Amino acid sequence: MSEHKNWYLICYDIREPKRWRKAYKLLKGYGDTLQYSIIRCRLTMRDREKLRWELEKILEPEDSLLIVGLCNSCLERICLCNRPEAWSIQDTGFRIL
Amino acid sequence: MLQTLNRPALEQETLRVSALHALVYCPRLFYLEEVEELYTQDAAVFAGRRLHAELAKANDEDWDELTLESPELGLRGKVDALRTRDGQIIPYEHKRGRCYRGNNRQPQAWESDRIQILAYALLIEAVLGVPVSEGRIRYHADNVLVHVPLNAEGRQAVHNAIHQARQLRQSPQRPPVTDNERLCVRCSLAPVCLPEESRLAHNPDYPALRLFPRDDDREVLHILEAGTYVGKTGEQLKISRQNQPDEKFPARQIGQIVLHSFSQISTQAMHFCADQQIGLHFISGGGRYIGSFDTRQGSIQRRIQQYKALSNPEVCLNLAKKLVACRGQSQRKYLMRGQRGMAEIPPPLTAAIDQMQRLLKQVDLAPTIDSLLGLEGNLAACYFGALSHLLGEDTPPELRFTGRNRRPPHDRFNTLLGFGYALLLKDVINAILVVGLEPALGFYHQPRTQAPPLALDLMEIFRVPLVDMPIVASINRQQWDVDADFEVHKTHIWLSDSGKRKFIELYEKRKQETWKHPATNYSLTYRRILELEVRLLEKEWSGEAGLFGQLVLR
Ligand code: SF4
Repeated sequence: MSEHKNWYLICYDIREPKRWRKAYKLLKGYGDTLQYSIIRCRLTMRDREKLRWELEKILEPEDSLLIVGLCNSCLERICLCNRPEAWSIQDTGFRIL
Repeated sequence: MLQTLNRPALEQETLRVSALHALVYCPRLFYLEEVEELYTQDAAVFAGRRLHAELAKANDEDWDELTLESPELGLRGKVDALRTRDGQIIPYEHKRGRCYRGNNRQPQAWESDRIQILAYALLIEAVLGVPVSEGRIRYHADNVLVHVPLNAEGRQAVHNAIHQARQLRQSPQRPPVTDNERLCVRCSLAPVCLPEESRLAHNPDYPALRLFPRDDDREVLHILEAGTYVGKTGEQLKISRQNQPDEKFPARQIGQIVLHSFSQISTQAMHFCADQQIGLHFISGGGRYIGSFDTRQGSIQRRIQQYKALSNPEVCLNLAKKLVACRGQSQRKYLMRGQRGMAEIPPPLTAAIDQMQRLLKQVDLAPTIDSLLGLEGNLAACYFGALSHLLGEDTPPELRFTGRNRRPPHDRFNTLLGFGYALLLKDVINAILVVGLEPALGFYHQPRTQAPPLALDLMEIFRVPLVDMPIVASINRQQWDVDADFEVHKTHIWLSDSGKRKFIELYEKRKQETWKHPATNYSLTYRRILELEVRLLEKEWSGEAGLFGQLVLR
């Protein structure tokens, strides 16, 4: 039983550059940028809630944020409909550099 | 030294109101947090904080956050919100969850929440000198507002709780796990408390629901190339290698960094690792464990219990027996396993197995640690003497094994063993640091060289399954290139870069395999078992003994 993790797609629109940079930096600590302002993360519930809290401290009411949780069949479909590099997964638990 | 257990200073210190909340929820939770100083933050903690951040932004109403302390009352705390209604000051608390409903379905506050809001009310009275007649709790999940009157009974309940809390703070004994299992399911400290394992220790037939610790499935980064630079940029770790583009990793996906040979790491990155609880370990180019960056100081209380237990020779001897029996039995079982499927069983193998059986019988009777060391030495001699019989017939002569030698290893097999034990050592130390024990105080090994004794002790359990077995299997699969994977020097043999790469893969993959824990009957990955075993050891001297050191190969 490893702690349950899910994939999330996080998209945002932040109206002010300073806040944008802050949020961007934070999100890069949790996952990988797929495209400008679209980040994908694999998170436990705990990390997801932590991230939501940390983002809430940065964002203002005029900013928007969308966190999309993906189930396994969503993931399969993403891989199916896209070019292979759109969603590559490295999940060995270790890396040797 | 051990007098620090009765810390008189604590008596003067005020209690946090939230500690009272914990106390009413479960006295053991209070003890773990306030006395052992263990905090973990689970999803609910962060969700609660976000609720407060959101509420603070929706400031359509007066919003006062007050930090109050009253030495007379013995409490301190931060009140979520204070509002004035019809000239009355009323403290508010916001809870994410649902309220409690009794038999008549009437919404009520949970007892722990009730004591908490009443404590705030008393605190306001004491500090601000105004009378408070009630507190209110909003439960956001079912959108219910509960009024909690501050009457004589409520005042008494808070005073009782404060009294109980003070007594517990003085107690050297951790309270038992709660009888109400449902509390544990929502308890943020369950991964540290291990309620299921405690119940199992008292009752072997207890049907455990789930076990902790959870697997830390953050990645382990091995930095092999000398001259690599590890830095921090934003919330990422940046790895710069020669003649390669920089690589960046989200910090939260990394659980350990292992620096082999001479790489550089910036001070900033080290601070960041400490902050993110990323273990940092150093292994020399020659494959020797150097040390770890230890910033996760365990609570002093936990270590004091360890000092107390491990300065008792009897406790040490008993634990050491478990350890020697555990390793010896695993070694013997492994040799027996090797016999299976052999057309002809070499007589020395059978002889070793028999001899080990006789030696194992004496372990329990050993009168001293010294006699145990002797037995262990004999067991190891039998085992290593026979291990080469498990190697296939087509094993190249260079990989044959005649006996254990080390510092530095003289043959390839010993090089593999040495490197494997160094990797294992860093994982055992990582687990010890995560659990918050003192690696330098062990019960069996004496302080020597670089490796801390407790880590050497615990390593014994894992040598066979995590290092010996994968090595023999990989040789039998003919995975090694006797020239390219090794560097042969005049006096010693080291692994080459390609050899190390192969070995790390072998070892890290092995750690992800699962093993059914004989005592808990759960299949767990070795990664988890490493930490579990340290936690079970800690339980040996805190009233929940019996599960440690039972990891024997079948
Ligand atoms: S896990 Fe259960 S027994 Fe342990 S502190 Fe939490 S509620 Fe108490």
